[in-house]
Amino acid sequence: MDQQPLSLLHIHVKLLGFSLHSITPWPNNPSIFYLNGKRISRVEILGVVTSRDYKPNKFLRFTLDDGTHSITCILWLNHLTSPFFASRQPATLRVISDLAKCFADDIQFGKVARVRGRVSSYRGDLQVTVSDVVIERDPDAETLHRLDCISLGRRCYFG
Amino acid sequence: MASNAIKSGALVTLPELQPSSEFFKEGASLRVTGKLQEYSVETAIAVIADQGATLKVDTQHLRELSFRIGSIFQFIGELNIQPNYEAILQARTGRNVDGIDLDLYYQSLQQLRQFQAKHMKNATT
Repeated sequence: MDQQPLSLLHIHVKLLGFSLHSITPWPNNPSIFYLNGKRISRVEILGVVTSRDYKPNKFLRFTLDDGTHSITCILWLNHLTSPFFASRQPATLRVISDLAKCFADDIQFGKVARVRGRVSSYRGDLQVTVSDVVIERDPDAETLHRLDCISLGRRCYFG
Repeated sequence: MASNAIKSGALVTLPELQPSSEFFKEGASLRVTGKLQEYSVETAIAVIADQGATLKVDTQHLRELSFRIGSIFQFIGELNIQPNYEAILQARTGRNVDGIDLDLYYQSLQQLRQFQAKHMKNATT
């Protein structure tokens, strides 16, 4: 049986900042991007929080620095007021909103954060719309993520 | 990510920060790691050491960081080069990384540079 080409579209692709910087938009869909000819939409990145712009009940914009590039991330905090979420069940919205607020509290200047989210574009610049955050306290977390990204890059993404 | 006001701190080891090095530039954004050798509360200047090399770090802008002699710290900041070629890093973030596997860290930097070099080469061909 012929092997199906590897699909990265529905997984969180572990990337270093400079690799994320190299992706290009797919003309047919603004949520999909090309990484070395493969379509991706979600990423997992890890780095030090080097800036933090907090607007209560609106958003938290922050940057992660992984030593190769600074990555802009946006965490929406307007689930209870934005018409974008109006179609969702109120109870579900409340859970999502509370979780986002916890993430916002965790993301502090100088902390190491692992972030998962969708790649998006805002005014021509790439950013990650955050869906999940873990604050990493293991001092080797960045080293291991770096090695993971390199290994995956060599074997899957760019191989 | 075409434009970003916050520059990424390039990963460098202290022995690499010699005047002849490509990283030894005024204003260069760097990330350094080393063991705390000295700390002055009056000047907020820390001296970190790694593999026989040392670097002064200005920590005046850092908050909520306890400085303990002998602990390993990592700082991100900009390099300021004095007229006598002495460098001092103006740190904007810092953290205690006690427990870090430095051998693995150095190896990961080597791997990263090889990976980046190949990736950049492929991007231009």
